[in-house]
Amino acid sequence: MLSVRQLSIDIEGKPIVRNSSFSVPLGKITSIIGESGSGKSMTVSALLGILPPGAKATGQALFYDKNLLTVSDKEMMEIRRTHLFTIFQDAANSFNPSVKMRHQLFEFSGRKSGDTNEEFRLKMEGILDDLGLAPEIMEQYPFELSGGMLQRCMIACALYMKPGLLIADEPTSALDMVLQKEFIGLLKRLNEQHGTTILLITHDLDIVAEVAHDMVVMRHGEVIETGSVTEVFDCPKHPYTKLLLDSRF
Amino acid sequence: MKSRKALTFWCTILGIIVVMTIFAGFLSSYEPNDMNLDEVYTSPGESHLLGTDHLGRDVFSRLLEGGKVTLTVASISVLVSLVIGVLYGGISGYVGGIVDTVMMRFLEALITIPSLIIILAFQAFMQGGMWSMALIIGVTGWLVTARIVRSEFIRLKDAEFVKMAIMFGTPMWRIIFGHMLRNSIPAIFVVTLFNFAGAIFIEVSLSFLGIGVPPAIPSWGNMLYYAQNDILIGAWWIGVFPGIMIFITILAINFIGEALKDPERRRLDA
Repeated sequence: MLSVRQLSIDIEGKPIVRNSSFSVPLGKITSIIGESGSGKSMTVSALLGILPPGAKATGQALFYDKNLLTVSDKEMMEIRRTHLFTIFQDAANSFNPSVKMRHQLFEFSGRKSGDTNEEFRLKMEGILDDLGLAPEIMEQYPFELSGGMLQRCMIACALYMKPGLLIADEPTSALDMVLQKEFIGLLKRLNEQHGTTILLITHDLDIVAEVAHDMVVMRHGEVIETGSVTEVFDCPKHPYTKLLLDSRF
Repeated sequence: MKSRKALTFWCTILGIIVVMTIFAGFLSSYEPNDMNLDEVYTSPGESHLLGTDHLGRDVFSRLLEGGKVTLTVASISVLVSLVIGVLYGGISGYVGGIVDTVMMRFLEALITIPSLIIILAFQAFMQGGMWSMALIIGVTGWLVTARIVRSEFIRLKDAEFVKMAIMFGTPMWRIIFGHMLRNSIPAIFVVTLFNFAGAIFIEVSLSFLGIGVPPAIPSWGNMLYYAQNDILIGAWWIGVFPGIMIFITILAINFIGEALKDPERRRLDA
């Protein structure tokens, strides 16, 4: 579904990511794992076309035969609107603190699919209920909800939109262990029930072992190993992957 | 909880002052400019609540009418400075880069000049009335607002929810108004309140120096100006009451601003 070939990212001449190639197969959960500063988040930014100013991406990232790195802003907007959904690290900061949840959830979901307010309300309430969230949260402000609830609201939007590809950039790092587990379960459900392809960025090997089908290991801006999770876990080829696996509890 | 009580108290005080000046016409039994040379320098008492001045004008009526003028000048100037400040700071913070640098250096250059001097210079050749004075105070008073708006915009520009909004293709004006300006409101509100107190103070000082509101229009400042001579002959009431009003008003505004600035009351602490 998404295949990245020879992706390189420079920020003002300084290479951040070099010649990375990997692919995200349809209907699977693919995980990019690597330590902080290994270029995972930059790779995602490049795919989404939100690189910081001064950064330049070269190579190819084919998404439904469109190169995400070279499409026009307008096309990118269209792809992001219809096919992609992104969950960022810290859900608490992903919502505007001074706007009620109802408007924000609508902004992230209903508006994109062109639903009316009423359609949105009915559908969203069903989804929220399904996720164990009371419909009252629609009338609350983000700071009145916990981090876990907000992250679930993000998932609710993803469930509403049923995007082709869900990109989750370290979605669990701001959550405690119990919430992490719950959240991972939700991702799994999204994948199994709706067949959503998920690109999961994380530095937590346990999460990878738990949900991912395929994995990509990054280090110092390079992809050093790719393969299915069972394969890589059973016989890691690269010394760094071995080290990574050994460092698990 | 203590700060909440203080806030209510000072809001009430300010509210009373504002309401009294707005309904000046109903509350006073004399026209503010009615002279009665038979009753000059009457001390506060039955017929004239706060006494009369050197032309026999009722001090209470003039106090309310003067309050109206002073507060109007201050409000208009604050509105003007708010608009300029938000625009200037917003552009500077949102665009960033070289534009920001140039705009901020220019602003810093302006900040080094005491605004009272600029206002004095303007007043000297404009010889303006109430409106032009409000305008001048506003045009010189936006610097702090601009700085605050700029810093808020810079902080919010990097906020995750703004990035999210950009990701989701939210139109730029919606991001600016719905996300950035909306979340800057607490800070803008507080700085505007302090600006308001400052504007009252400037109006009063200018009128006291005799170059503010024209003599025909009563204001707290020029009441004080004319009271200078009266105090010497023992008519203390002409100067004391406007002084008290100025004191209480500025005090109330400052305390309200202080209470709102209290971090516990701010829900936005990113």
